[in-house]
Amino acid sequence: MDRTLTSFIAALRNADVRISTAETLDAMSAVELCGYRNREFLKDTLALVLPKTPDEKYTFDETFDQFFTFEDVKGESVVTELDGDGEEAEGEGGSGQGQGGAEGEGPGDRKGGGKKKKFSAFEELEVEEDLGTGEMAQPRSTLGKLLMQDSRVELTVNMAAAAKEVSLEEIQVFTQKGLYTRKIMEEMGLADLQQEISVVRQSPSIPDRRLGQELKKRREWLREQVRDYVEKQFLLHADATGKKLREELLRKVKLSNVEHRNFRLVQEVVFRMAKRLVALHSRRKKVFKRGQLHVSRTLRHNMSYDGSIFDLRWKSVKIDRPKVFAICDVSGSVANYARFMLMFLYSLEEVMPKVRSFAFSSDLAEVTDLFERNKLEDAIAKTLRDYSGGSTDYGQAFEDFRNKCLDEIDNRTTIIILGDARNNYGDPRTEILKEMYDRSKRLIWLNPESRNTWNVGDAEMRKYSAYVHQAEECNSLTHLERIVGNLLRTIQ
Amino acid sequence: MDLDNAAFCAEKSFLRVVVVVVGGTVTDIDKLAGSVGNLQAGFESHRYICSSQIATAVYLAYQLRKPVLVEGPPGVGKTELAKTTAEMFELPLIRLQCYEGLDEAKAIYEWKYGKQLLYTQVLKETLDEVLQGAKGFTESVNRLHEFGDIFFSEEFMEPRPLLKALQEENGCVLLIDEVDKSDHEFESLLLEILSDYQVSIPEIGTIKAKAEPPIVFLTSNNTREISDALKRRCLHLYIPFPDTDLEQRIIHARVPEIPPELRRQLVTFIQELRDLDLKKVPAISETIDWARTLLLLHTESLDATLVRDTLNVILKFQEDIDNVDAEITTLISKATKN
Repeated sequence: MDRTLTSFIAALRNADVRISTAETLDAMSAVELCGYRNREFLKDTLALVLPKTPDEKYTFDETFDQFFTFEDVKGESVVTELDGDGEEAEGEGGSGQGQGGAEGEGPGDRKGGGKKKKFSAFEELEVEEDLGTGEMAQPRSTLGKLLMQDSRVELTVNMAAAAKEVSLEEIQVFTQKGLYTRKIMEEMGLADLQQEISVVRQSPSIPDRRLGQELKKRREWLREQVRDYVEKQFLLHADATGKKLREELLRKVKLSNVEHRNFRLVQEVVFRMAKRLVALHSRRKKVFKRGQLHVSRTLRHNMSYDGSIFDLRWKSVKIDRPKVFAICDVSGSVANYARFMLMFLYSLEEVMPKVRSFAFSSDLAEVTDLFERNKLEDAIAKTLRDYSGGSTDYGQAFEDFRNKCLDEIDNRTTIIILGDARNNYGDPRTEILKEMYDRSKRLIWLNPESRNTWNVGDAEMRKYSAYVHQAEECNSLTHLERIVGNLLRTIQ
Repeated sequence: MDLDNAAFCAEKSFLRVVVVVVGGTVTDIDKLAGSVGNLQAGFESHRYICSSQIATAVYLAYQLRKPVLVEGPPGVGKTELAKTTAEMFELPLIRLQCYEGLDEAKAIYEWKYGKQLLYTQVLKETLDEVLQGAKGFTESVNRLHEFGDIFFSEEFMEPRPLLKALQEENGCVLLIDEVDKSDHEFESLLLEILSDYQVSIPEIGTIKAKAEPPIVFLTSNNTREISDALKRRCLHLYIPFPDTDLEQRIIHARVPEIPPELRRQLVTFIQELRDLDLKKVPAISETIDWARTLLLLHTESLDATLVRDTLNVILKFQEDIDNVDAEITTLISKATKN
């Protein structure tokens, strides 16, 4: 039973629910208490112990339903195609036992007819000889017996056991599905069944041949079932492995090459990275809260020590939050980078000081408001839509910036400029950049192009880089994470 | 359900008789917390209607001796859960309200400085007697050492909620309210008490819980993420807004006087409101307040003027009130039609 639980937990981890070993132990003692009998109770119990955020609870619900479906079916014994056949088949088994291969009487006929109708759902690929209805021989192979018993429960149990035997939980990619289906069938005793089918189908006895037809049909049905089972297990165990691989790749891939369909995934990665940075930097703030000695509070507090001052009280300083100005080139070539940088900056809200953002291609405009009023994705989409036309003109953009808010830059301000510095041979206006450089605490230039093309063609990076504190190549999420991480360290 | 309740109450009063003989309330609790069904009925008899998930949480908390971290939007009954549990188990409730800057001295213990000072003054005079006959400095110091650390013993310690909860003989319910409002440091401070039911005081040593460890509830409004270390030690219960059916039962339990038709209408109305884009959606506590208000105004059925006049009971922002005002007639027609 513990194995069921651990593989369920593995499935949950696959689905991005974080579960520690300690929580696994908790879950085990909780399950010991509640048992596997009552499905709802089990779900409630595990939902309390394993997932720890509303998001995770949602994932948990889905995974639980998927994982424990077989448990669900167990209670009802036979479903779908075999439905309703159960009791009749049992009756038949009972009456047929003593008669062996003898020709059927009245009641046997009726049942056989019923069966024929119910199994008509199966497509018969080859034309079978019509053997009419009547008594059938008893199967001899283990799997054959199992199939003829019409007991879905036993079959399922057998299937799960076989799956464990062939380590189905190690399935990695979807191309392995067929392989595992076959492996499981073989483990369940397919070879014997095949043997039996071919023997009875050639047998002169009609009941034997009837059995052959029946077994063949049921073998196909079983194959279907096993395939379903493998499919489900694949979704549980392997789907996320592929996802992890994709995420790993996305971190390294050039942001301009990220395809549209992957945006959501990238966004998730960005949020996760941001969350980690938040966790890392939210503690640091506290240290800065300690400031000067708070004389009156110290005196008051130390009265209880007879006035001897040994327990000091400090003034907590209100942190003067530094500012970050992000200036993004959103013209076609760089737009994608701007998208992800803005996403990153704004997901850091909790630890990042106030961010003001500006977008330009030729003229510069402030988009801070857009981000305050809209959801992140909408704001980014709007920014790109409204400002990405026009050819890049850094000179004009700097001019606009000077007119708008150069006065607001002080020695606590960090300016981040994202752009390829390709100015279409226009006036670079380095004097404005110098002014910004002089006034700000830090000016960081992030260039999505690789370093050796920084000065090729119309790129003005050589001129600009004289007036920045730091110029970095930045074209993947990993770069972005590193740069923003450093930024957080320096500005706080 | 009523029949069940009656049976349950009878069982409970019977138990209480037994309890007197046994001489402790422990059996009572054991019986009550013995199954989820019992707990749910118990909560119901204390006018707290809960889902099976909530009852399971309390069940596991009691059986596994684990604290429960309760999260959810404000006003869904997180604090109430702890209060009702205490009431039901007939245990004292010890409450610690968290806020920014809460520290050890206010949460666990503090020394009684005044008493220490006073005693030193008094003892100054008897010091001579103690030191009488002592030869040399070393001997005097040795004699003083015999005093030990009496000034830092439990006599001089002022227990704060967390320590108090550990010292309760028959166990108690400890409610650490709005833990998200406290600092990160305080969270780490809680870890020891949550995992081992003990606190370490440098001068005295480790103080462990008495026979029965407390049942601990932590509540959080999600204003910030609680650290993984804390989450790992707790059962995690998320209480969402209730569905129509559950909310009707809650209103029935809390405001039994309200006519069923009006109850249905007002719950539907509130449920509709929750789907709107509001700054603060009304929670259960607001629904209850509103039900009381309507009862006070002898309302039979919802109508536009009445709702408009009493909207400030359920909506706490002028902006929201303005937004809803425009749609009030549609909302009411939805609520009043069958």
